[in-house]
Amino acid sequence: MPAVSTSRAGGLSLPRWSRLTYIAVFIVAIALFVSVAGPLLVTHDPYMFGASMNEPPNAEHILGTDDQGQDVYSRLVTGTGLSLLYGASAALVALFLGGLVALLAMALGKVAEGILFGLVDLIRAMPGILFALAFIVAFEPGVESVILALGISFAPNFALITRATYLQQMARPYTSAAKVLGASRIRTAFVHILPNVAGALITQFAIVLPRCIVSESVLSFLGLGVSPETPTWGRMIASATPYTEDAPHAVIAPIIALSLVTFSLAIIGNELRTRFDPSRRRIAL
Amino acid sequence: MNPRLARLLGSIGLDLLRSLAIAAGIVVFTFFVIRMIPGDVVDLRGIEGSLTYSQQTAMREELGLNKGWLEQFWLWLGMILSGDLGTSARYSTPIADLLATVIPSTLALGTAALSIGLVLGIGLPTLACLYPRSIFVALVEFITIWSITIPTFSIGILCVIVFAVWLGWIPAIGNFTVPALILGLDIAGTLAKMLHEDMTDIQTADFIRTARAKGLNRAQIVLRHILPNALTTVVALIGLILASVLTGALTMEVVFGLPGLGTLALQAIKGRDYPVVQAIIIWLGLAVVVANFITDMVQKLVDPRLRNL
Amino acid sequence: MRRTLLSLAAAFAISIFTPAFAQEPEYGGTLKLQWGTLDTADFHRHTGTISLPHVFAETLTSISKDGSPKGLLAESWTISDDGLTYTFNIRQGVKFHNGRVMTAEDVKKNFERIQREVKGGWLTSAMEQVESFSAPDEKTFVVKLKAPFAPFLNLIAEGWILAPESPGWDSNITQPIGTGPFTFDSWTPQLAIKGKKFADYWMEGKPYVDAIEFDVREIADTSLALRAGDYHAADIPLSKIESLKADGIAIDFSGDTSWNFLSFNNRKPRPPFDNVRVREAIAYAIDKAAIMKIAAGEYGVTGNQMVTEGNFFFDPEMAAHDKHAKPDFERAKAILAEEGVNPGDTTVYMISELNNRTAAPIAQILRQLGFKVDNKPFDDLGFQRALSEYDWDVFPGGSGPRNDIFLRYVRMMSDGPNPGLWGGIQDPEFDKLVKAAISTVDQNESRALYLKAWQRVLDNYYTVVLGHAPGAYGIRPEVHDLTIGFNTSAHRVDGGVAFTWIDQ
Repeated sequence: MPAVSTSRAGGLSLPRWSRLTYIAVFIVAIALFVSVAGPLLVTHDPYMFGASMNEPPNAEHILGTDDQGQDVYSRLVTGTGLSLLYGASAALVALFLGGLVALLAMALGKVAEGILFGLVDLIRAMPGILFALAFIVAFEPGVESVILALGISFAPNFALITRATYLQQMARPYTSAAKVLGASRIRTAFVHILPNVAGALITQFAIVLPRCIVSESVLSFLGLGVSPETPTWGRMIASATPYTEDAPHAVIAPIIALSLVTFSLAIIGNELRTRFDPSRRRIAL
Repeated sequence: MNPRLARLLGSIGLDLLRSLAIAAGIVVFTFFVIRMIPGDVVDLRGIEGSLTYSQQTAMREELGLNKGWLEQFWLWLGMILSGDLGTSARYSTPIADLLATVIPSTLALGTAALSIGLVLGIGLPTLACLYPRSIFVALVEFITIWSITIPTFSIGILCVIVFAVWLGWIPAIGNFTVPALILGLDIAGTLAKMLHEDMTDIQTADFIRTARAKGLNRAQIVLRHILPNALTTVVALIGLILASVLTGALTMEVVFGLPGLGTLALQAIKGRDYPVVQAIIIWLGLAVVVANFITDMVQKLVDPRLRNL
Repeated sequence: MRRTLLSLAAAFAISIFTPAFAQEPEYGGTLKLQWGTLDTADFHRHTGTISLPHVFAETLTSISKDGSPKGLLAESWTISDDGLTYTFNIRQGVKFHNGRVMTAEDVKKNFERIQREVKGGWLTSAMEQVESFSAPDEKTFVVKLKAPFAPFLNLIAEGWILAPESPGWDSNITQPIGTGPFTFDSWTPQLAIKGKKFADYWMEGKPYVDAIEFDVREIADTSLALRAGDYHAADIPLSKIESLKADGIAIDFSGDTSWNFLSFNNRKPRPPFDNVRVREAIAYAIDKAAIMKIAAGEYGVTGNQMVTEGNFFFDPEMAAHDKHAKPDFERAKAILAEEGVNPGDTTVYMISELNNRTAAPIAQILRQLGFKVDNKPFDDLGFQRALSEYDWDVFPGGSGPRNDIFLRYVRMMSDGPNPGLWGGIQDPEFDKLVKAAISTVDQNESRALYLKAWQRVLDNYYTVVLGHAPGAYGIRPEVHDLTIGFNTSAHRVDGGVAFTWIDQ
């Protein structure tokens, strides 16, 4: 792959991507397309149960049917959008709770910082999945609980990165300059530091997103995820697992979809991280 | 007192205080959060049997569930501090006994998985470093990708079908080797990539060039200089690894029907057995806090730069 | 002489060459089973599935496959004409596991303990009817009731008779000493129960196996373990029957069935479901056959009563006149229009159990009618709670086998236990009919009254029956004579683990 020139006067400079990254981006692009165009691409109603259960792929059902007679292909297509949406929502919740709240806490001073990061340590100390389980059971099960539970579980990832970046940036001259010029700590934080943190946060988002998607599937598998009819990949895997022998296609299809997309997202996250910050030691999370 | 020692002790002391605070936080948090979960063990008995309202009230009184939360908390705290773990509300057996039955199983799985994970996770990158253009580099990549993309429970089910039912090599329920392998691969994946990158980074460091100038061959350099440095990364990651072993063990236990802590916890949460859930979350949480504390201490002893005072 | 010899030779030859038609049971082996769980070693307080205690401790009666009570520890009994006095002849020579012989006095002590100690459980309603217990002599145990109570004989099939010497008798029994074929050796909650053969068991020559082991973990799919040989027998999901049969595993079914239903909120109904015709419309829209196929494969049958064919309390006439046996979607839409209900304006709040396979199809049917559906799945405890809050519209549910028909009706009574599953029915007319049904000793009168009560359920659409499915058990080929009973009980006077033997 020829290196695209990075020094075109006045133009955008494209980074030099490996072939793998191109593939990853391509896959994610397809996933996004399917998410949006979903309703147009389905061949059957993804929620409609049918008479023929566990049918292997055939002319009428491209990927066969599952144990309730639903069309696997249509559910997969619909599920792509849902899985990405829920995963992204959870990751976003984590980003806001972890990143922005942390930024605020740092700006507010040592006390706020102490309290918030004490909470962060608390969350990190508890076994992640038990925490999410207990949380979901405590509040009504369903999409909202799952997103909230996962968001809280992954917030520490963002909080720690924010803190590290904040401290790093505070040591730079431009922040001292801002202080001299009379900017309050909060203003400094959000107006000056935030843009610098953004890169790290986005990177972390790309890393956390696939983990959110997989976590949702584990929760569904344990019986505490989304409702059974929702065709998120995780839910599809969970429902089809008891019938692996009778209908392997119903299990394999969502596994492949899940694997491809999480893999691609992970590659992209890696790439972003290298791009934004190749020299710094990763925060051990 | 030697100022360096003083600083070290001070730093450790602060850490200790912090850990205790977190521990206290876990205890309080767990107690009250679990109480917030709607439904209690009397409801469970009610599903299976058929309890009228007055019978349920009587049962609640018997179990002490109708006292105020604060009161229950003090009672329970007193009990814990005196060493008594309490009794399972559902089975009326002492929790200590329940835990004693399940912990060995989880420990076995965890240790096996950890060993496999460490061996592969450290061994593969080392080999990749020693033989930079060999298959080992590809293996490292493979393992990393594997651990990111394949959900462990799916592989678990597939393995049960293939190895237990079709091939009959292992019993369908209660087998440890397959889940240990799966978890081990997962851990190895987490470790391998990071270690490999670290090791490659270190290779360009100054002190390595010195070593090479001194005439040491590749193997010696890797094993004597690069590896030990990389190990500090591993120690720093122990917390993360332990957490992922715990989480992974839970799913594996459910898939493979292992009688471990994870299954007990899941059943206890579903059965609203407060005392058991509390006991498990708290002890697991404390274990993680202790593990983190110890690794922090070890790191501080090893690397003075980390004693941030 | 010659002829005798010839016939002897012939008989000898025939016996050699006849295939093992009437096999002789072999002794030995450990029977490994996976079915049911145990909540407590104090059987009197047990509120869960009743399959396991029977193996270790016995009762006066046991329920046979056809649902009728037969004497287990009671050899025979008589009921007075007014239905108030039951006189049991206690079987003689039955030993407890500690060697002592059981007497009527022991029986009396057990029933008194249940009445005194146990605050919740299947037997409590029975105990409330009792005026007195007495044991006039070693062989006789007499119960005097306050009023006739028809379910009594069936309910005492869970009145375990334990030795009062059992440790913990005064508070919580930790080691139940019973009279059953196996001794209760060890129990690790959620893991295993182990027992050894009781050498002095009263049934001659039984049990055949040396030991028994129950795996009491809650495993979703036991079929894999069964095929791999980890268990000798297990209860299995209906969907796995075919793959098990293909592997040579025998399948047996329980005598009683579980039934699926769609309940409406009867305690605090919200519009438009407070309108009986709207409920009727929904009943017309439901395709019972398709849904039962999803829930139970080919082993499901549709119906409109709580029990199905083969049960004494089933009425074929009523079943034949089921208006909703086949769906009539157009009629459903027409009724909704007649009542001025626009489905598009309504969101139906559904509560469902996670493992219930009828929830999603029913939700889909409602959506096809035009309703918006909010389906909230809960785990097994959560849904009970949610139901009892009565801010929902529909609940697709299921309920399992019961010792007595009364236990099915009691939960639909105004003060019944756990009424949430049927929407909290409070119908005084219904209550009267059920009370009358249990107060008569005449079975046929009872049946007629029960059916009248059920008619009210049908007319008011408190709940809509979808269908029935039996419980299925897989039994490995090397296991013989393990028969499944009416419900989940593993030991009865005419079948169960005491009769089972394994190929050596």
